Amino acid sequence: MAVKFFGQFLVEQGIVTNEALLEAINLQDKNNLKLGEMAVAMGLITPADIKRAHNAQMSKDMRLGDLLVEMGLLTLDQVSDVATRQKNTHLYIGEALVQIGALTTDGLQKQLDAFKADQAQYISSGIDLPITSPNSKIWEMTADLTYKMITRVLDLQFRPGKCTVATAISPSFMLAAMDLSGDVEARYLISVSESLQKSIAKAILSEPSVDNESAEVLEDTVMEFVNVVCGNVAAKASQMGVIMNINPPVTVHPPASGLPIPDGCTALIFPIHIGDGDTMEMILLIKG
Amino acid sequence: MKKVLVVDDSLSVARQLEKIISESGDFTCVGHAKNGAEAIKMNHTENPDIICMDMNMPGMDGLTALRTLSVMDKEVKVVMVTSLGGVGDKFTEALKLGAKNVISKPFEADNVLRILREL
Repeated sequence: MAVKFFGQFLVEQGIVTNEALLEAINLQDKNNLKLGEMAVAMGLITPADIKRAHNAQMSKDMRLGDLLVEMGLLTLDQVSDVATRQKNTHLYIGEALVQIGALTTDGLQKQLDAFKADQAQYISSGIDLPITSPNSKIWEMTADLTYKMITRVLDLQFRPGKCTVATAISPSFMLAAMDLSGDVEARYLISVSESLQKSIAKAILSEPSVDNESAEVLEDTVMEFVNVVCGNVAAKASQMGVIMNINPPVTVHPPASGLPIPDGCTALIFPIHIGDGDTMEMILLIKG
Repeated sequence: MKKVLVVDDSLSVARQLEKIISESGDFTCVGHAKNGAEAIKMNHTENPDIICMDMNMPGMDGLTALRTLSVMDKEVKVVMVTSLGGVGDKFTEALKLGAKNVISKPFEADNVLRILREL
């Protein structure tokens, strides 16, 4: 019921043991050389060059390939050749499991098909953003996965509204927020009314009524929904080659005047119209 | 009946897990710790057979606590319960540190119990 990677799926289904998976991952680690290691293996640079580049990386926020070009150690064409060699020799986890005898070739194909079917519900459909950003695909996926989790976790009928760029965050009963860091820097927020907070609490706690629950528990359920969405977004982002770290969720109670957008951030608002006439909002405060 | 300690900063997740565990008939929930440091203390006082632990918690996180627990107590079986289960590096790190399995959120009761019974 969540975004998974193939190895996790196999362990969870009891197809391979966690010991076999770790052995296959170790085989991958030995086989799948990093860019610098591959450049050395191809005789283009020396280990000493890599050490110099790594030292330079401490004071420069640059990818190793770009830095090696800037330092005159590799040409752009050579970086491209190294990346191609990495891609062509990459050992996938399924292949590694076959190599260590934990799966047969036929079994691998069968499990890949089962994995594809399990994860089909999380394949992203198109969402139009009103901005162009280097990470547009990530933000589209974030909105799409939020919609999917509203259906699967909260069991709510809804209609997504048009995404807009906002100049302020409108007042609401409460917001739950989570900061995202790594290759992307942003804050993810869900804004809900009092009645939607109760709907979320009923779904998360699997209780028919939450009238006697404390405010702390009710708020916690919205934070947990944000945690589940963002954890799965981070998993999907890693499949897209983007590192995304998540932090513990927090609650925000906006004043009646709403909240200003922090300097240097772009705010995207995704209205989500719930079946009974209520609206929640997903908000992304994207830095840079 | 096997004793289970739940470790999660979220009250609602702890409630869900405690309900699943106590209604199973096979396990009894011996407590709820809100972060890794509390988990280490409660592992000492409650002596659980199994710990179900979140990864992403304020204070001491789940992987740090797992690292400590795997050194301090070779008997206790730790299962991570996390929304980050689908992030390959996190999943692998948890297994390398000695976790017996990783359950992704959102989870289903049947899946949680199947994994706990297999331990």
